[in-house]
Amino acid sequence: MENPYYPIDTVLEDVITETPTIRTFCLKPARPVKFKAGQFMQLTVPGVGEAPFTPSSDPNIEDRMEITILRTGKVTEALHELKPGARLGLRGPFGKGYPLEKLGGKDVLVVGGGVGLAPMRSLLYALFNDPSKYNRIDIKFGAREPAELSFRRQYKEWSSLASNISLKTTIDIPHPDWDGHVGLVTTLLDDLEVKIADSFALSCGPEIMLKFVTLKLLEVGYTPPQIYLSMNRKMSCGMGKCGRCNVGHYYLCVDGPDMCYEKIKNVPNVFG
Amino acid sequence: MRFIDSTDFERLLKKLSAEGELVVPVREEDTGKIHIQRVEAFPLPAGTAFDGFRSVESLKGFAQHLRSVVARYPSEDMDQMEAEESFPVFVIVGARGCDLKAMELVDSVQVEGDYTDPFYKIRRDRMLVIASDCTECGESCFCTLTGSNPWPEKGYDLTISKVGSGYLVEEGSERGAAILSENSELFSEPREGQEKARVENREKVLAQLKSNNKDYPASAEMTEKLRGVLNDELWNEESARCVECGACTNICPTCYCFLLFDQQDGEQFKRVMSWDSCQVTGYARMAGMGTPRPRLSDRVKHRLYHKYDYLVLSHNAVFCTGCGRCIDACSASIDMRDVFRKVKTKATR
Repeated sequence: MENPYYPIDTVLEDVITETPTIRTFCLKPARPVKFKAGQFMQLTVPGVGEAPFTPSSDPNIEDRMEITILRTGKVTEALHELKPGARLGLRGPFGKGYPLEKLGGKDVLVVGGGVGLAPMRSLLYALFNDPSKYNRIDIKFGAREPAELSFRRQYKEWSSLASNISLKTTIDIPHPDWDGHVGLVTTLLDDLEVKIADSFALSCGPEIMLKFVTLKLLEVGYTPPQIYLSMNRKMSCGMGKCGRCNVGHYYLCVDGPDMCYEKIKNVPNVFG
Repeated sequence: MRFIDSTDFERLLKKLSAEGELVVPVREEDTGKIHIQRVEAFPLPAGTAFDGFRSVESLKGFAQHLRSVVARYPSEDMDQMEAEESFPVFVIVGARGCDLKAMELVDSVQVEGDYTDPFYKIRRDRMLVIASDCTECGESCFCTLTGSNPWPEKGYDLTISKVGSGYLVEEGSERGAAILSENSELFSEPREGQEKARVENREKVLAQLKSNNKDYPASAEMTEKLRGVLNDELWNEESARCVECGACTNICPTCYCFLLFDQQDGEQFKRVMSWDSCQVTGYARMAGMGTPRPRLSDRVKHRLYHKYDYLVLSHNAVFCTGCGRCIDACSASIDMRDVFRKVKTKATR
């Protein structure tokens, strides 16, 4: 019988420094892992433990995987110390992933903040696989300061992939190295070019950001069924059993982690 | 329906003990409480009791161990799992109606659905369960409020009801039927009046339960009532007494949540699964120290909402069997029935 708790052997091939606190870990699992954008993996640091992360790489690539991680807790501290060649473990994928099947022919609004850009990149790769399937792809990325914007090296390339793709960035407060838009990511949602009635908004970032992004989206005319949020709790088993990732009666590890706001809007303290 | 006298029943248990580890309920002489105990040798331990009511401990630890290794890594064998044959077989005697109901509920989480916990499933499949009627009820028992009865209705291989000098026996599975036919010399036809005695005993215990719990609301109406008092100050009042010991969740037969953690193990590493409690501060804490339930009142509330609301939505059942163990175990004497009575009063205002 297959053991769902067993982490498959994985080699760390490379580490890319994205920001002072965020690194991308390039992994090669011992066997291919097929995941959908938005699904998450449990990444094991041997002896330290495992933690849930949504890959930031292209879901069409199965023999390699990239996971972009903020240094923030026990497992991530240990990860940030690792050098290429280290052995890790992977379980998964878990969860449902983004509702790509609903996005065809629609105006897609992607809103990311901080390390929340990581899963969003995986979503973008999935969308960029054939941008013509969507009416528009509008990307709004925010971070505290310029150095905190992950994947900046790719922004130009993404924007020029197709004429229906637009990417706008912002930082929270003025900075000498920045001449672009300044303000919270919600300020990029004031003058949207998307047709809201025919659009889906997908957002990932810190919970406080998700809260205000949601309020803003509702204010500009989105309805709860049009909003998808990448929720985060302490997903552990990945199978809806260990009981750590409840949001109301949902287990994020099986029902999410990307939840339609319509489903969770009445959950008390949904944003922590 | 068959009859077996108590001497022959002990013979039967001796025979069954060859199939696995035998576990029986034993009454403590000074307190009268029943504890589950492994039988190392025959005769059965002094105080072995197949009457009375449920044991102090729940039976969940036989299928979901308090702590067990679920993976050793890295290993040559990707899906390495110990051979099924290496798992112990437990022959559990004296499981009550509430125990069986609890196992059925936890099965629906651990075995059914998209993912099966293979460790749990193997242990459950290998378990032999001989259930028994309650011949009395405890002060904290409230199975009737949850829609159950104080006797086994399903989920057993055999079930016994104490009558006079022995037990009426019924089969509940093919395995149970095989035990009856393979040991037919130990069984006889029930004598006149024995079945009637069983019915009378059941009615007596049922009446006692209903009388004990006449002032408390039924579980079925609590889901809706709880939804109406989510932010009521009542939770602050209740949690002010709670000392976060986690006894309620550890003793509860339908609390199945667990913790996974990793440890060095010689040249390898091992992944351990252990019981855990949503009542303790760090239970749902995330990296960076954020927690969705920072206040004790959030956690006290969470246990009840999980059982009486969330699992009703996700698994279509209240995950409480009215065994009352959490009431007996609570360091602060919090009685779930009492909390629900207050909830009902508040919700209907």
